[in-house]
Amino acid sequence: MEISTERDGGTVVATPAGRLDGSNAREFQDALDAVVQDTERALILDFEQVSYISSAGLRVLLVTAKALQGNGAELALCSLDDPIREVFGISGFDSIIPIHASRADALASVKG
Amino acid sequence: MTYKILVVDDEPDLEPLMLQRMRRQIRSGRFEFVFAGNGVEALEKLAADSTIDMVLSDINMPQMDGLTLLEQIPDVNPNLRAVIISAYGDMQNIRTAMNRGAFDFVTKPVDFDDLQVTVDRTLAHIEEWRAALDSRDKLVALQNELDVASKMQQSILPTSFPKTSDYETFGTMHPALDVGGDFYDVVRLPDQHIGLAIADVSGKGVPAALFMMSSRTLLKGTAISFDDPGQVLSEVNSLLQEDDTDGMFVTMLYAVYNAATGEFTYASGGHDAPLLVQPDGSSTLLPLTGGIALGVLPGHDYKQTSHVLQPGETIVLYTDGVTEAMNADGELFGIEGLREYFANKPPVDSEGTSQQVMQAVADFAGDAPQSDDITCLTLQRN
Repeated sequence: MEISTERDGGTVVATPAGRLDGSNAREFQDALDAVVQDTERALILDFEQVSYISSAGLRVLLVTAKALQGNGAELALCSLDDPIREVFGISGFDSIIPIHASRADALASVKG
Repeated sequence: MTYKILVVDDEPDLEPLMLQRMRRQIRSGRFEFVFAGNGVEALEKLAADSTIDMVLSDINMPQMDGLTLLEQIPDVNPNLRAVIISAYGDMQNIRTAMNRGAFDFVTKPVDFDDLQVTVDRTLAHIEEWRAALDSRDKLVALQNELDVASKMQQSILPTSFPKTSDYETFGTMHPALDVGGDFYDVVRLPDQHIGLAIADVSGKGVPAALFMMSSRTLLKGTAISFDDPGQVLSEVNSLLQEDDTDGMFVTMLYAVYNAATGEFTYASGGHDAPLLVQPDGSSTLLPLTGGIALGVLPGHDYKQTSHVLQPGETIVLYTDGVTEAMNADGELFGIEGLREYFANKPPVDSEGTSQQVMQAVADFAGDAPQSDDITCLTLQRN
């Protein structure tokens, strides 16, 4: 899975695309693992181009959040469309991963 | 490794010639030759020695010719490959031989350098073929194990459901092709109480199936030890944390129904909200209780809330296999799709309602492949 990334100081913004489900969870995980290695302060996942996330995709986010935490960094999400935002609400994942309306908001919050 | 080659020719000269020209390969242990004078003798040798890797055969021979031999080889060993030695320019026989499954041919007079190349290529093909067969066998074995896992999952689901004149329950699950992680359970509790659980483990495959089994066992044990659904989820959550869950989690809704009063008390751990359906088919989503999926956050305190069921009301619990069922156009069924369905077909009894949900999802999805377990558990107050 190709994930384009941009770097802003110690923060990396990654933009996954398409469906994040059981069929590509392994690739998604591998791609994020590589990004986590390069992240000093925070990883922002811009969900602008994500159309669907299943529980297998959520699991990858959970593993990623834990890995970042272990390195003293944090994970944040931004630009989720309504159905995906709802998945985070129902599963309660919005209480452990900060979710921002826009990329600018997410960048501002991690720079705090 | 040594390859054993059966050479079939009625010309007695070929044997010493072959042994002489291939002496280096024989000495190095790469080739070993076996000889036969015609097709009948060749079949006898093949039947007696299963370690022969390939056949090198002349066409014109007494008793049984090379073309007939080609037809009979697969009956003895379908994984053997044969190379035919034909007269130069005899395209008719060469074509017949290839049609009968010969892998390649060389022409007379035999050029031994060319023969060497042809034999090497044939053996390389045999190696690839064997590797492919091996992979296929392993795949079949793995598939069998997954089938066993899938059957185990099905077998732990309850098959009989509490039903009295006051209320009835019914659960059903359509598993996806892969072993996945949905389950439901109905637990008979003291004093006319019953526990109802529905859950969805993240991911698919054997790890998800194992996680589902342990989640289900923990739930069952906890459900009979604590009265409050919130407390049950808190307890299961902390027990799950004791194992390394490798990022796996389970969304679970657990409810206790008091048949004496109609009170339905539930706690959601990251699971979809219960749908309350009226006898006329209209419906509302009951509020969520703000709990996070189990296995994610140690020490999380799960809250509960309750609704008193009125006679005729039905509670529908479901997994995201229902709401995220997709049709060929890539549209999701959604909770709105389910509500619309009930608006047109109001529930009659609990069993019928569960089957109705399955039918509604199947109708919507049409020929689109099912990617997730579809699970539904219903409770109706009579």
